[in-house]
Parts: sequence; structure tokens; C-alpha cells
Amino acid sequence: MSAFHFDGLVWHWPIAIYLFLAGLSAGAVFFGILLKHFKLGKKAYQSRFIQAAALIAPVTVCAGLGILVLDLTKPLDFWKILVFYNSTSVMSMGVLVLMVYQLMLFAWIGAIFCTPIVQWCEGRWGLVTRGLIKLQQWEDVITGVLLILSLSLGAYTGFLLSALIGFPLLNNPVLPVLFLVSGLTSGAAATLLVGVLLKGNPNGIEVRFIHGIEIPMILIEMAILFTFFAGLILSGGQSQVAAFNALGEGFWGWIFWGGVVGLGLTLPLAFNLWMKVSADRKFAYVAVTASFSLVGVLLLRNFILYTGQMTGT
Amino acid sequence: MDISKRHFLTGCGTLIAGISIYSVAKELAGSEAGASVDQTQTIKYAMVHDENLCIGCNACEQACRDVNNVPDGVSRVVINRTGPFGEYPDQSYRFSRKSCQHCEDAPCVKVCPTGAAYIDPDTGIVGVNQDKCVGCQYCIAACPYQVRFINPVTQTADKCDFCRETQLKQGKQPACVEACPTHALVFGNIRDPESELVKTLKSKPTYRAKTDLGTRPKLFHVPTIDGEIVL
Ligand code: SF4
Ligand code: SF4
Ligand code: SF4
Repeated sequence: MSAFHFDGLVWHWPIAIYLFLAGLSAGAVFFGILLKHFKLGKKAYQSRFIQAAALIAPVTVCAGLGILVLDLTKPLDFWKILVFYNSTSVMSMGVLVLMVYQLMLFAWIGAIFCTPIVQWCEGRWGLVTRGLIKLQQWEDVITGVLLILSLSLGAYTGFLLSALIGFPLLNNPVLPVLFLVSGLTSGAAATLLVGVLLKGNPNGIEVRFIHGIEIPMILIEMAILFTFFAGLILSGGQSQVAAFNALGEGFWGWIFWGGVVGLGLTLPLAFNLWMKVSADRKFAYVAVTASFSLVGVLLLRNFILYTGQMTGT
Repeated sequence: MDISKRHFLTGCGTLIAGISIYSVAKELAGSEAGASVDQTQTIKYAMVHDENLCIGCNACEQACRDVNNVPDGVSRVVINRTGPFGEYPDQSYRFSRKSCQHCEDAPCVKVCPTGAAYIDPDTGIVGVNQDKCVGCQYCIAACPYQVRFINPVTQTADKCDFCRETQLKQGKQPACVEACPTHALVFGNIRDPESELVKTLKSKPTYRAKTDLGTRPKLFHVPTIDGEIVL
């Protein structure tokens, strides 16, 4: 049995990347909304970090969907998922959420970038201008709905796997929460990374705000991971076997302890605490911390997907 | 600000109300459907595999392949052999059948995004509608019995369908049942008390796999008496 090929393996890494990208998009939107609401207000569109979130969110969600479609055995038939719905299917409901989410996402981007776009239009394309102004009037509604949708999307990435009742590690009520929180973390990290790459101020209020939320979030994520595996081990039977298979020695054990816990959680936590006391944030600090978080979440998705399918009931 | 706040609250309220009404309605619809299916249905097909009669000859697999055009490399039914148990010359093997269990509460049907995996209300057979299947493989991952596969020719999900499209249409027994030389397989209508299936179920002790998952499978196994005792 090797780490990437074993009996019973159905879903491979493209699904992990899809889950990663969907969660990342949801997280970027979530933090974009919080940033605008609590810190930036009307002038949000000038912030590099809001621009980063507005860039990342649509790109990642579209890329994720693209991967999902290419991973079908009949990619050209993907439209059937959009035409036929099944209310008991997590995937079907997720696709529904994804569609409305994308719609709302573009409406939100239109609303917050209304002012610069209208200026740029200089009175040309009256229809565009009028449409954007309408969007701006409805911004609060759009924002509220989008916030709920982004949280649903983040949780959906976990529900998709937890519906697989034959695998105790996946069929676990904590999984959607874990994926939601880690998805939000990855969204925050991506927003920071792209923000500073776009020459945003690494010591600006946006970075301070997001870092302020990140510390408790990493702690929560650690607590959830602990609950997740403690719950499995205490349930005994195949759940226990699954947990020990995943965490024990071997490739995926290394990925978990070194990659997910070490690189993805502990180091960013340490860096965050350090930046908090040293008060001055530099480009390299912010970028490296964010990259570690991102890699950690990507590894977590792969770790759960593969080890989850390793042990059946 | 006040107006937009009100907009926002109205929006959220509507959304939440919509979601809760939807889930309650679904719950009601689900419980009604669940209750009615069980009572009105007069045909519900099931199968018994007698592990004491099975000799592991694989005639069932071959017959299924021929009749249902199953390509090489995949199979709708597999006979798993464990053993040998005991000392030579008193050795024995255990054979267990692995194929679709035609779950009453089928996880594959629940997760399929397009409804391509479905349970036929007239016969209780779980089938795959090839035209609707997009090959997302969600059902393959969701089936706790790991009996589904992608058919390399059609590129759609495939598995045992109790020969619904072939033998049953011609009024015959499933191919594997007809091919079995020791009559280890019995197929029939579980609603018909006179059927050989019901008589077998009432005369031999049987078990079903992984019933704790709530799948209510319709493939029964008569357990081997030979073999080792495992704790
Ligand atoms: S055994 Fe698997 S494929 Fe067959 S009905 Fe049950 S869940 Fe579906
Ligand atoms: S592979 Fe086909 S039958 Fe299976 S869940 Fe996907 S669409 Fe449905
Ligand atoms: S019932 Fe038909 S489809 Fe199912 S295993 Fe037997 S021969 Fe194959």
C-alpha cells in the first residue's frame, strides 16, 4: 500500500485541490467583507487587500470548479449537474450554493468597486453605470447574503466528504467545522499574500486586523483538530483504527505532524505572536507567514482526503 | 443607512425562513415517502448467497460478464476467497459474494448530484441511468460495500442491477443465478411468501453486511459453518 495508491481509493488529489480552492475563495470573501465593514468603509476599493480579495475569490472558485469538471469521467456532460438536482445530494446542493455564490460575488465586487468603475467609464455605457449604482444601493443585502453563502460554501467542502458514510474518518460531524475554519484561514492568508504582493502596506490596518483574528482562529483550529482525532480514538473500532492509521508513522503521519501541525499552524502562530509584540510588520514576515498557512491548509485537505479513504468500516 | 439595514435584515430573514421551511417540508415529504414505499410495493427483489454451497468456481462472474457485456478489468460480482482453514487434508475455504446489495436506503442514491443513481419504485432495484450520469464518482466513494465502478466503455457508473435490462426483461432469472452449478444463489421477490427466496430466508440463518450503517441491504448471506472462529 503506497500513500497515493491503495485499495478503495476513489477520489484523488484534484478533489483535494478543488476543496482547497473553494474554501480559499470563501475565506477571501469572508475577510474582504469583514475588512470593509469594520475598518475601511466607503474607501475600501482603494485598499490593496480588498483588491486582492476581489481578485482571489472569483479566480479560485472558477479554477476549483474547472478542476471539478475536468475530473468527471464525462467532462462535457457537466451541464447535467446544473440541470438535474437532487435535494439529498450534498454535491448537488453545493453546486447550487456555488452558482448563487458566484452571482453574489460578482454583484458584491461590482458594488464595492462602483465608484472607480463609474469614474473610469466617464459617462460612457450608461447601462453599466446605472446597473452598478443599483448594485451599490443594494450593497448591504448583497453583502449579507454573500457572507452567509461564503460560510455555507466553506462548510460544504467538509459536508461533501462527511456524507461518505463508509469511512469513519470522513463521516464525522466535526469535519465540516474543521474545513470551514481552515478554509477561512487560507482565505485570510491568500488575501494577505496577494495584498502585499500588490504592494499593499505590510504594516497597514488591514494586516493588523486580519492578524488579530488569525491568532484565535489558529488556536480554534488546533482545538478542532484535537477534538476530531480524540473523538475518533475514543469511539474505538474502525474509527480508532482510522485515526491511528492516519496519525501514525508513515508518509501521511509526517505530512500531518510536520506539514499541517508544524508548518501550517505552529509556525504561523509563532510568527503572528512575534509580530504582535515586535509591532513592526515587514513584507517578508507577512508573506512567509501567509505562505506557510496556505501550504498547511492544502496539505490538510490532501491528508484528510487520502487518509480518510484508507480505512473503511 | 437605515433603509439598507432594513434591506439586509429582510434579506437575511427571508433566506433563513426559506431554508427552514424547505428543510421541514423535505423532512415531511421524506417520512411520507419512506412509509408509503414499504407498504404499497408488491415486488421487491432480493438475493441470497449460501456460502456453504458456494465452491468459488466464478461461474457467476463469467455469466454476468457475458450476459451484461461487462468489459474486462471490472466486474459486477466478485467471489472473495479466504482461507485455507484447518490442517491438510481437512482444509476448507470461505467464499463471500461482493456485489451491489440493493440497499433500501441507498447511500449511492442519496449522494448522486443528478439523480442518475436511483431506486426503482416498482422493484426495489437500485439502478444507474447512464444518460444522466456525469461520472463524478461520488456514488462510488459513498457506497460502503465498494461495489460500484466506472465502466471503461460507457464512462458511467456501473454495478449489478439484478440483470434488470437483460435476463429479467426476458422473464428469466439473473445470469449468475442460472449459472451457479451448486444452486448457491437464490433470487426472488421478498414480498411473495411462496417464493423460493422467502422459503430459504425462513429456513436458513442469514446475515447482511454493515447493517449498522442503516443501508438496509437486500443481499443476504448464509454464513459458512466451516472456517476459523475469529473474535
Ligand atoms: S450496495 Fe452500494 S451501489 Fe448497491 S445500493 Fe447499496 S450503496 Fe448503492
Ligand atoms: S458517478 Fe454518475 S451515478 Fe455516480 S454519483 Fe456521479 S452522476 Fe451519479
Ligand atoms: S444479478 Fe445479474 S448483474 Fe447482478 S451479478 Fe448477477 S448476473 Fe451480474
